[in-house]
Formats: sequence, structure tokens, C-alpha cells
Amino acid sequence: MYQGFLSWRFLTAKRINWVGIIGVYVGVTALILILSIMSGFLEQQRRMVRGSLAHLVVEPSPMPHIDGTPLPASSEPLQQAILADPRVESATTQLSWFSMLMQGGARGSLISTSRLSDTQSAKLVGVQIVGIDIENELRTTDLLASLQPPPAEASINQTYGYIAVENPNDPFSEPEGLEYQQPWAWCIVGQQLAIVHGLRRGSEINLGTMIPDPQTGKVRQSNRKYLVAGTFRTGENEIDLGRIYMDRRDLHDFLGTHRDYSQVLVKLHDYERDGQAVMGDLSASLVQKRLIRDAGLGELKTWEQYRGNLLGAIENEKVLMAIMLSLVLVVAGFTVFAILTMMIAEKRRDIGILAALGATPRGTMWIFLLIGFWDALLGAVGGAVTGVLAALNIDSIEQSISQALGVEIFNRDVYLFDHIPAVVDPVSVGVIVLGAFVCTLTFAAIPSWRASRMNPIDALRYE
Amino acid sequence: MSEQLALNARDIRKSFQIGERTIEVLHGTHLELRRGERLCLMGASGAGKSTFMHILGLLDQPTEGSVEVEGVNAWGLSVNERAKLRNQRIGFVFQFYHLLPELSAIENVVLPARIAASHGANKIDLKEINERAMEGLTRFGLSDRLTHRPSQLSGGEQQRVAIARALILDPPILIADEPTGNLDTATGKKVLDLLMEEQINRGLSMILVTHDTRLADTCDRVLTIEDGQIQSDSKFDIPH
Ligand SMILES: Nc1ncnc2c1ncn2[C@@H]1O[C@H](COP(=O)(O)OP(=O)(O)OP(=O)(O)O)[C@@H](O)[C@H]1O
Ligand SMILES: [Mg+2]
Repeated sequence: MYQGFLSWRFLTAKRINWVGIIGVYVGVTALILILSIMSGFLEQQRRMVRGSLAHLVVEPSPMPHIDGTPLPASSEPLQQAILADPRVESATTQLSWFSMLMQGGARGSLISTSRLSDTQSAKLVGVQIVGIDIENELRTTDLLASLQPPPAEASINQTYGYIAVENPNDPFSEPEGLEYQQPWAWCIVGQQLAIVHGLRRGSEINLGTMIPDPQTGKVRQSNRKYLVAGTFRTGENEIDLGRIYMDRRDLHDFLGTHRDYSQVLVKLHDYERDGQAVMGDLSASLVQKRLIRDAGLGELKTWEQYRGNLLGAIENEKVLMAIMLSLVLVVAGFTVFAILTMMIAEKRRDIGILAALGATPRGTMWIFLLIGFWDALLGAVGGAVTGVLAALNIDSIEQSISQALGVEIFNRDVYLFDHIPAVVDPVSVGVIVLGAFVCTLTFAAIPSWRASRMNPIDALRYE
Repeated sequence: MSEQLALNARDIRKSFQIGERTIEVLHGTHLELRRGERLCLMGASGAGKSTFMHILGLLDQPTEGSVEVEGVNAWGLSVNERAKLRNQRIGFVFQFYHLLPELSAIENVVLPARIAASHGANKIDLKEINERAMEGLTRFGLSDRLTHRPSQLSGGEQQRVAIARALILDPPILIADEPTGNLDTATGKKVLDLLMEEQINRGLSMILVTHDTRLADTCDRVLTIEDGQIQSDSKFDIPH
């Protein structure tokens, strides 16, 4: 086809065309790189937001049924009912309560007092105490991962305060070599919490709480001592600063509450595929079995619903960013438009010659449209390759730039990650490349169409 | 009768709109070009020769009147069909050569064949066309200029390339609008000799626009355009 041949010649004959190609190239590179990093951050954030949650959360109402009968005291029936669904991989029961952490005890501590997290506003360090069934928990949530030591290249922020549990698969068992006479149970505390209170392995903590009596309505105080077996780190500050895990039976014994559970976390084989269906089936069957009051009251949630507002914000950010960045492509398209318009004005005579040689108006249009196509092809493909490579190697790129400039661009402590997260999503790359094509070709179409409308004679009379 | 005519233009009027004013350049004139005929067209500058040639070459639409190419009413065709006709039946040589500056001599010559391929008519073998183009340019004495750009060629060389281009698809009709108008006498004569030779060898139906009265002797027929009308040369004209 002469159009392809001529468009390539016209493209390479004029150096100005590089501006159009570079425009598209820079636009596509920037879009892919920035969106990949954004996606990486969002993905990281999403993982954190999900954090210690599993796929679904069943949280039976604390209220009795409408007719006054209370919900079962044991989690057993609920757990069984959930596990009956073949799409459920595992489920784990948790009992959570709130508490105040007071320090003290046998080993070398003179202070026995609670600590203010913010001395100016007199905020007490309240902690969430969570009783878990360790086997089920490890199978269902990411707890095991948060017990692992930080990676070798981790920043001080991540390593500081870390206390390894002796056996991650059985964190509540007594560590060897630490013979305590005390009968107290072992617990694992958030890493930040350990730092705030200066906790070490074997430290003794005193947890105080209040429990309302359902019969009398009176509030009863209770406290119990625990020993620190190690720390966990989820990366989510609130949890790392405010949660303590212990054995569920022990906690139930401590609290003496009617129910021995507050929620059941559920992990599915394939959440993306089955999530919604299982939600519907479970809520129906659990209500029918009277294990929850009424699913409509939010007793059954996916983790996304559970952390809905946060996730919504993340998605919004991403969409907003994509829209703003798309303007880069519009600018690139406009560059191509300007160059082609200029080129067509310059090529009036040649357009006339082509018509005289038997080119159709549509053929003429194609020549210039193809120039736009080359711009898009070279720019977008080059940009995609560069963008993807840059995204995949962003860490070393950032480091060498940081080194060259002597400024730390990415502060690894601030972000809680040890590397710049970048997720290259092939679909996004495809959409960006396609967008570049659509944008460039749309802008190229206008001058190309005008070229095809030129009267060959007007064009030829120029000399 | 009409099948024997390469070109048949009837009642051609052409006017141009310049601002408010309308200027009529051609006032309803006729022209018949017979097959294999060499026709010379003369006339004062501004008489409308080029305007008429553009109409005959289907580059411009007459305000009124019809143009038949080998019996086909050109303006009754679609844009694409007309482009195809222009591509394959009519060769055009301009006063100002009009080569594409980005292409080499040989690429310029081959261009009509590339365009023909897009019309999808007959199978165009680019390799064979290339050879034909090379052969043509060699015949015109340009064998060592094949890959030169037009800007690297003299006027006479450019015009020879333009003639080779006009003839590459072997069109039966050739329109040459003052092909030597921009050349010095000696160069012009060489170019003209070449054109005449091709006309004879190929049996072209040719219209040659010229100011050179001496050329008239070598033509089968000489027409003059005056007052926007063709004034037939009675001595040669065959009544119809
Ligand atoms: N596009 C146009 N717009 C306005 N006037 C035009 C246009 N084309 C031709 N004319 C006018 O038509 C007349 C004939 O022009 P044309 O170029 O056909 O003359 P010509 O016989 O070829 O002259 P020359 O021998 O100088 O080439 C001229 O007066 C010219 O100004
Ligand atoms: Mg003229």
C-alpha cells in the first residue's frame, strides 16, 4: 500500500515528527509508571486494610433473639454451620474485648502503672484483647506472616522492638529456658505496643477490664496477668499498637462472659468467585439456624464491607489519578494534531500531485492518519516498554537518583514498606496503550480529513 | 465513432469565483482527441490552456459540460472510479515537474503503480514495475540518477523522471502541459524529442500544450485557444 510507504517517508523526512512520537512516548511512560506505583501503594494499603481479617466476618449480634432467647453461648454450632459450606476453606473463632494495659511484676520492673499514649490529652493506652484458637487462626488469617522476623533489608523501623516467638505455630506455649513459677498464660503483643511499654520476652503485663453482668447489669472489674511470648507486626499501626493475642479459652476464663466468642472469621477457597454467593447462602442458613439474629443488621460482612470506607477512598484516589493523568495523553495527541496540521499545509502541492497520479481522497487521508498511527505505535510501544521496565526497577532507579542527588526521595520509614511497591497490571498497560492510540488517532483524524478535502488543483497551482 | 475518441470534451465551461466576482475562463468549448493522435494546443498566456488540460485530465471539474475518457463519462463516475481512471488511463506531465521531494527518482516513477495496487485492479508486481522503471529511466539517460532525490536533479532530469512516471502504467492518453516551459531551449528540445519518440512507440493519444510554433509542424493537429474557445485549425481539422 502506497499509504504506508508514503506515510513512513513523510514521517522520517521531517525531524519535527519526533516531537509527536516523544510526546506520546513520555505520556505513556509516565502514565504506566505512575499508575503502577499508585497501584502498588494501593495494593499494599489494601492488604494492610484487610490486615488481620479473613475474607468474611460473621459477627453475631450481642442482643438476644426477638423472642428473648439468647444466641448460643458456644461458638461450636456457628463454626460447624459455616464449615458445612464446601466453598469455605477454613474458619476461626475469636473472642475480643477491650482492656487497659498495666505494667509490672516480678522481673525488675519498679513501675506498676498504666501509660498514657498521649500525655497531652490524657489518652489511656487501651488495648484490644483477642482470644484465638491458634490452629484455626493460622489456617485462616495472615497471623503467621506477622510473626515472622522482618526481612534482612528492612529498616530500623521494622526491626526495632521485634521479639520472636519461639514457635510461631504454637506461640502461646512457654518458651524454653524461661522458667517461670507464675501460672500465667502467655500472649503475643503488637510490636508497637511492645516498644511503647518497653516489653521484652517474658515481660509481665497486667490487663484490667470491666465486664457488665447480663443478669444484674452491674459492672464487674477484673484483671489478670500475662507473660509476653513475642510480638507480631501487621504493618497497620492501630493494630500493632493496640492488640494482644492470647488463647481463647484462657481469655473466656478471664472474662467470664456468657458467650465464648464474638466473631468467626471465614476464609474461602476462591473469594473473588464465590464471595457474594457464600454471603447470601450463609446469611440465609445462619438466620434459619438461629445462629445469628438477622443478617440485615450487618452480622455478616465481607472484609471489603468491613473496611468499606477506607477501600472506597483508595479506589476513588486511583480513579481520580487516572483521569488527571489521562490529560497527558490529550496533550500528546494535541502535539500530533499541531504537527500534522503544519505538515499538511506544507504538503499542499504533494497532495495535489498524489491526486493527479490517481490517489483517492480517502487514500490521501490514510497517509496522514498513518503518520498519526506511526506516532502512536512508536510512542506507545516504546513508552509501554520503558514504563514497565521502569516500574519493575523503580527501587534501584530511586536509589541511584537518591544517591546522585543526595536526597532520600522515598523514605522507607515513613511508608512502612522496605521498597517502593509497584504493581504492573497488564490490563492497565493495555488500556493506556489503547488510550494513546485512540487519543492520537482522533487528533490525527482532523487534519487528515481536511487534507482529503483539498482540491488537487488548488494544491497544484502553488509553485 | 466515440469509441475511437481517446478524449471527448463537450460544451466545457469553467468559471472561477474570486471574491464577489465570477470569471469565466472557458466559454463552452469542445475538444476531441483521437486515438494515437498527437495534438498541439497553443494560445496566449492566460488563455485557459492549463485550466482546460486540468479538466481533460480529470483534475478539475468543469462548471458545465462533459468529459468522456474512452467513451466513459468521467464525471458520472464515483470519486474512486474517477481516481482509478486518472491513475491508469491518463498520464500527466506538468510544467513544474511536480515530483515528490521525499522520494528518489525511481520511487517517484514507481509511485503510480503503488497507487494502482490500492485500486486493486490488475495484479501489480512491484518488482517487475521496478525493473520497468529502471529500464525507462535508463532509456531517458538517467541510469546513474536512480536514487537521487528531485532536489539533486536538474530541471531537465526532473522532467524526464516526470515523463517516466507518467508512462509507467502504460496509459493510452498523455497530457503534457508546457513540459519544456521551464527549460532552456537545448534541454527542452531533448525532452521533447524523448516525448515524441515515446508517443510514436507507444501509439499514445497525446495533447501537447506549447508556445513553440515550430512544434506545430510535428503535430497531427494544431488547435488554438482564444477567448475561452478552441479555434479549430481548419487545414487539419476533420469535420464531424
Ligand atoms: N483557481 C483559479 N482561481 C482564479 N482564477 C484562476 C484559477 N485558475 C485559473 N485562473 C485564471 O484563469 C485564467 C487561465 O489560466 P490558465 O492557467 O489556464 O492559463 P494558461 O493558458 O495555462 O496560461 P500560461 O500559458 O501562462 O500557463 C487566468 O486568467 C487565471 O488567472
Ligand atoms: Mg498554463
